[in-house]
Amino acid sequence: MLARPGLPSFDYVRATSAEDVRRLLLEHGPAAGLLMGGTDLFPRMRDRLLRPNLVVDVKSVPGLRDIGYDTQDGLCVGAAVSLNVLASHPDVQEHYPLLVEAANSVASYQVRTRATLGGNLCNASPAADMAPAALCLDAQVELYGAAGYRRVPVGGFILGPGRTALDPGEFMVAIRFPSPRAGSHGTYIKLGRNRAGDLAIVGVAVYGYPDAANRVTGCRFRIALASVAPVPVRAPAAEEAAALNPRAADRLRAAADAAAEAASPVDDVRASAVYRREMVRNLVMRGLRYVTAKLGRPEGGWSVGLGEESA
Amino acid sequence: MSRQAISLTVNGAPERLEVESSLTLLQMLRERLALIGTKNGCEAGECGACTVLMDGEPVNACLVLAVEAEGCEVLTVEGLAPSGQLSALQTAFSEHNAVQCGFCTPGMLISAYALLKRNAHPTELEIREALVGNLCRCTGYVRIVEAVQAAAGESALS
Amino acid sequence: MTRLTHDPVGKSVLRVDAHDKVTGAAQFADDIQFGPGLFYGRLVRSPVAHAIIRSIDVSQALAMPGVRAVVSGCEMTARIGLYLVDRPIFAGDRVRYVGEPLAGVVASTEDVAQRAAELVRVEYEELPAVFDPEEAMQPSAPLLHPDLGKYKVAGFIFPEPGTNVSEHFRLRKGDVEAAWRRCAYVEEGTFRLPQIQHVPIEPHVAVSLWEASGQVTLWTCSQSPFSQRDLIAQSLGIPHGDLRVVSPYVGGGFGGKAGVSMEACAVVLAQAVKGHPVKVRMTREEEFVCTTVRQSLVARLKVGCDCEGNLLAMEVIYLFGGGAYNDYGVNIVRAAGYSCTGPYDIPNVKGDAYCIYTNQPIGSAMRGFGMPEIHWGIEQVMDQLALRAHLDPADFRRRNCVRTDDTIVTGMRMPPVNLTACIDKATQAVSWGKQEAASASHKKRGKGLAIMWKAPAMPPNPGSAAIVRFQEDGTVHVSIGAQDLGQGAFTVMAQIAAQTLGVPFEWVRVSVPVDTRYSPYEWQTVASRITWSTGNAVRAAAGDARRQILETVAEHWGENIRDLDIKEGRVISYRSEEELPLWDLVVYGLPNPGYEGWMGGPIVGQGRFMPSYVTNLDPETGQGTRAVVHYSVGAQAVDLEVDCETGQIEILKIASVYDVGKAINPDLVRTQIEGGAVHGLSSAYEALRFDSHGRAVNASLVDYRIASAVDCPKRIYGDFVETPLEDGPWGARGVGEHVMVPTAPAVANALYDALGVRFSDLPLSAEKVYMALHAASQRGEARQAT
Repeated sequence: MLARPGLPSFDYVRATSAEDVRRLLLEHGPAAGLLMGGTDLFPRMRDRLLRPNLVVDVKSVPGLRDIGYDTQDGLCVGAAVSLNVLASHPDVQEHYPLLVEAANSVASYQVRTRATLGGNLCNASPAADMAPAALCLDAQVELYGAAGYRRVPVGGFILGPGRTALDPGEFMVAIRFPSPRAGSHGTYIKLGRNRAGDLAIVGVAVYGYPDAANRVTGCRFRIALASVAPVPVRAPAAEEAAALNPRAADRLRAAADAAAEAASPVDDVRASAVYRREMVRNLVMRGLRYVTAKLGRPEGGWSVGLGEESA
Repeated sequence: MSRQAISLTVNGAPERLEVESSLTLLQMLRERLALIGTKNGCEAGECGACTVLMDGEPVNACLVLAVEAEGCEVLTVEGLAPSGQLSALQTAFSEHNAVQCGFCTPGMLISAYALLKRNAHPTELEIREALVGNLCRCTGYVRIVEAVQAAAGESALS
Repeated sequence: MTRLTHDPVGKSVLRVDAHDKVTGAAQFADDIQFGPGLFYGRLVRSPVAHAIIRSIDVSQALAMPGVRAVVSGCEMTARIGLYLVDRPIFAGDRVRYVGEPLAGVVASTEDVAQRAAELVRVEYEELPAVFDPEEAMQPSAPLLHPDLGKYKVAGFIFPEPGTNVSEHFRLRKGDVEAAWRRCAYVEEGTFRLPQIQHVPIEPHVAVSLWEASGQVTLWTCSQSPFSQRDLIAQSLGIPHGDLRVVSPYVGGGFGGKAGVSMEACAVVLAQAVKGHPVKVRMTREEEFVCTTVRQSLVARLKVGCDCEGNLLAMEVIYLFGGGAYNDYGVNIVRAAGYSCTGPYDIPNVKGDAYCIYTNQPIGSAMRGFGMPEIHWGIEQVMDQLALRAHLDPADFRRRNCVRTDDTIVTGMRMPPVNLTACIDKATQAVSWGKQEAASASHKKRGKGLAIMWKAPAMPPNPGSAAIVRFQEDGTVHVSIGAQDLGQGAFTVMAQIAAQTLGVPFEWVRVSVPVDTRYSPYEWQTVASRITWSTGNAVRAAAGDARRQILETVAEHWGENIRDLDIKEGRVISYRSEEELPLWDLVVYGLPNPGYEGWMGGPIVGQGRFMPSYVTNLDPETGQGTRAVVHYSVGAQAVDLEVDCETGQIEILKIASVYDVGKAINPDLVRTQIEGGAVHGLSSAYEALRFDSHGRAVNASLVDYRIASAVDCPKRIYGDFVETPLEDGPWGARGVGEHVMVPTAPAVANALYDALGVRFSDLPLSAEKVYMALHAASQRGEARQAT
């Protein structure tokens, strides 16, 4: 069935406390839907994929729109912080540029005024653009529900397409990022059908940091992939290869191949599985070249964005 | 379905209305306030024809509920030239032939207006990236980019 | 005080509608206010591609509070069609594509209408469906229109009853069989294009009011208010004078708002709730598959030349996937048939163009009207032949392209054009022949060229009319039935009127609405015909007004009319040097000497234009004295790079040059060229995709991507040449469609230059390029990087 004009009917309530939200979720169960930015919720309601009778707006819950950073505890991002606010925050720009790059790759500026980091993770699309960066940066999501507050690593939060670890009555209040590692560099490379504005056909985050304990390369890597598996995934074998493969000449190639192996893409309307796997290979290679250049030659490196040249 | 009273400012004028929960900001502007400059092109946040400013930032009005705009300041294309005097952007669009069918123009102007407010001297790439969410089928974007550059240049002089 | 522009023809004056549009004041169809009595209509649509309708149960829908009426195809059996009346407004006995409307609900709100529409229960008995035109041509294919032989059909269309063929155009010139034997080089290929959609940013909207008196009004974004009136009046038995079609500004047409798609549904629903206007809006998703689309095509081409590269023979078979019904489809196929060679002078041609019913959305007019579809294959096979003959593709085209006075494929004499000048300018702008390095080691660079032609594809007698009236202050109102879709028609008409009358451009108003009750007749705003046809009518009307003015003043001054002129809004005498501002007489006339009576009166100029020289074509050979009114031609050259690691294409430059006869407004011509280049580029990546049941899987902007501001060529060079058209105003011809015709094949030819890979099937995509490059390099075929 084609999407309907306008939204179906529902009741709307603006929650003013976390307790409010928990109570409403427990009372209404699956008939309640959470509203942060609305940029996923409303199109899905038009498509009849979601049919909440009650929409609970959590943007006014204290703390959900706050960002805080300190050198000890790292970054705490309220679940309803918009991507534009996140990407323009001076502490995020200075200490978590990978998050900025990922946020700026989502949709369009006007969508990013409303879309939220929390929403992107809770929507749990395999193509969630914020997830690879969150995985690389060891993010934890903070949830509040019947059992009070709890934290879950982001890798354990997204369980399947559209499925998260949220218990009934639970909702996301914040996403926490530990202090950034000294000297780290990262990049998020997104391939879409348009040069910008599209969902990811493949999204690749590559993140590296100096680690003196590693005698082989002196670095460690995190590599995370979107849109090539049921959930956004890390590629641990690729990370190992990039850090530890003794043969320098084919180290990055080995890592790229391992990343391609770690992907389990499918055919869909945007692209085929075969192409996706190849793009993982090529884009991880690009990302690794960029990051290793940044790590090895602090004054050098080149700018990589959407389809730009490699050195 | 619940109804509630909301108060907000639209183009500088205070408005108080009773709206259904499911009424979008786009529907409210067009159907309740007869501000027809903002257009319905897709209702999915993809085309940008419904772009308005909410507290100074561009949003797709089709993805915002009217109730969410409670207490906010909304600016639509009608608010760009309140006294009839065209803004530099509007004049530039006109003079550079950045307008053909005109349907994308209101949303395009609002996005461009917001861009120049946050970045007075954008590069060509920054202009194009800022307008990614405003689709145009007629112009090929060439004159739109030129018009934004011209308006930015104008403000550099003044 | 605004600066005034005199003699505006040839000048890049600013658009007359820009102010309305940049202020948000411009009204489009969904913006018209109808007050609290407005009802809304939503249509019930088939979820299956081909089925007999066993029953339609509207009882639950009718019972919903707020529902005012439900109409179904069971009781509403009227059919409609432009050239072939094959389409029920609401399906009653059979559905033929997913999304076909079979009932409509009218309610006090759109939400109630939608919910009630979802309660209409339809029982279908599914039939085998066919989605591919080649399959649909097979004798074993399901027959979509068993009654094809009974449909009313225009005299120049030839359906084949008992089959799925709704039009077969035959072109036979010379003797191809003999000619093949004389060819030194022969190339052939099969090329495929999917259905694509216009994606106007404004979706279709129609509001209709059926008054108790029998007066019916339809407000809609329309390229063709008069043709829509004609079709709907005939279909529903409304006297023409009782049906009024009003069109405000149109938010992009591209051919999709030229015929009748959903508008007739609104009128039928209005009849059920007399006295209340009923608004029917397409959602974007409906816009994709429930209005009209560009037809798909399977093209088989074979071309041959002698050892020097002179084209000797061409054979084509065009199988157009026409969709479930015809709107313009059969005429597109006819146009593809009589222009089947592309812009080439070929003495021996055999062409067969078929319009074939398939269980898909309605294939119809989209910018180019068959020309983008056929040039995709033509320009690639010509490139291949040039390379085989060891000729530079640009030289090959210079050698073989049509020239003024050539006898072209239908036996007609080619009207004046200069295609070689277009080729020269376009190739020069991309430094053709100069092999340039790619910007990085993992990229490859290539250049490609494509040329095109297109004639307005019209019945032989499409008329334009215009009326020129004055306000009391001497300013002018020009009434036309042509629409400004964004192409700038109103501005150009104002320029023509101002120039002819002798008034400043700023004194002339041309505006919406186009209203069949008050606007003079215009066949349709299609075919890139308005500058030429309506321009002639406006020129005639302004000339008529000018004559009336000068006659009155000549009498008033006792002078010879030949000594008088109008300049800058004043009547002047070259002999006596008397002068008189226009506002003194254009409404009130002039007093006799001593005020003994008055002479003159309100000046109303009228004019019309209709070509008189188009002839029939022989149904067996497609030959005739004059198939079409004229052709416009052009060339596009593309300089691009391919990222071999992703398959992404970056267009470094598109150079587009067209022969427009006369650029009435040069900058508006350039903006058409720019927009057309991006539209053409975008169209190469676009495709409507369907599952095995005929349901669209990407009928939304999320998954049907069009070019955004970051998807543009780095540089667009647009230019024109002016070879005057014999009967165009100041020699002008149209160009609005031509500008997107050669883009896709130019890109394909550039890809071949860069990669050594030929892409014969659209759509292009980074994936397709990457996979083809990868496969080719495995076979050792791909070119080395430069």
